[in-house]
Amino acid sequence: MDAVNEITIGMADLKVGKAPQVLSTILGSCIGLCLYSPRHQTGGLLHLMMPFAGESVHQLNYKKAKYADTGVAELIHVLKKTCGVATPEIVAKMFGGAKVLKNVERNIGGENAEVVRSLLKEHGIVLKAVKVGGENGYRIKFHLDTGKVTCQIFGGQPEEF
Amino acid sequence: MEAKKVHRALQLVASLSIDKASQVFSKMIKVGAKIELEKVYVADISRATEELMVTDDFDVIGAFVDLVGDMPFKFLFYVAADDSLALTDLILHREPGVTKKFDLYVSSTVQELGNVLASAVTNVFASDFQIQMKPTPPQVVHDFASTVFGEYIMEAAADQNEILMIESMFKVVRMDIKCRMFLLPKGDTQKTLSGIIGAA
Repeated sequence: MDAVNEITIGMADLKVGKAPQVLSTILGSCIGLCLYSPRHQTGGLLHLMMPFAGESVHQLNYKKAKYADTGVAELIHVLKKTCGVATPEIVAKMFGGAKVLKNVERNIGGENAEVVRSLLKEHGIVLKAVKVGGENGYRIKFHLDTGKVTCQIFGGQPEEF
Repeated sequence: MEAKKVHRALQLVASLSIDKASQVFSKMIKVGAKIELEKVYVADISRATEELMVTDDFDVIGAFVDLVGDMPFKFLFYVAADDSLALTDLILHREPGVTKKFDLYVSSTVQELGNVLASAVTNVFASDFQIQMKPTPPQVVHDFASTVFGEYIMEAAADQNEILMIESMFKVVRMDIKCRMFLLPKGDTQKTLSGIIGAA
């Protein structure tokens, strides 16, 4: 893969791009949500950390992409504003949400995945592929020319979704 | 002004504890460990993790330790998975190349190193600053470097978008083994430190 075409997305961030770009990230308990418009060959990747923003919305440097409830809406908004993508054209794929640390009681990854599912339903967006859970990290590469996502769970072979 | 003082105090704490950890590390592996990097900085969580995904795109063995007490910190020590094999041979006094894959010996080695390094840090806090802390048993994780780092900063990043990090990189002389160590102040640690400086 041409490194120029690969865009990396850190935690609590989102980025959009067009074919032939590839959006990539590495996840643990965070969720990587890929939204794609096949007609525009355009998509965005949201790397969210927590289910709900709560009181954080009042913070000065509040990051919408950190939370599912604000991040999903923001990604849809950015796709519409910058690429002219209408919500009914969007399809979704979701990855991550692992429980990497065994001594942490809260299953934040599972909570994140549940909230994203219900938010997508509210927006009427079809969830075409899901690979969540487990105890290991995920490396995902979102190919904007095809909309396909290569997902490699740590210790396993890459799979295409 | 206060933030600058806290930053400087943390730099001093970091410098002393990393120096101590490096001495302990060298003694343990019986080979010199050189400190290649030592810095205290404020990092945006998105930028820091994005950079790490590019620079450290390999798998690591990491030891997570919570330093609990008067000034809680989170501690992380990690080494590239390939290098952890050579490190295991060094610690177990085996011929180089005997350890060929990740197994219980490698896991125990990284766990022990995490324990020893975290204890070295708490000793500096106790002896030089009269701050009482003790390390929890290390949890060892084998995964992508970015996954390990992401889980490490998760708790702090839940309430903040910028985190204060103390980072150090050791190089085992003659073997080109590179390891990273991080310290992350938790909760009211910065406030407590600020109080100590104010009282001094």
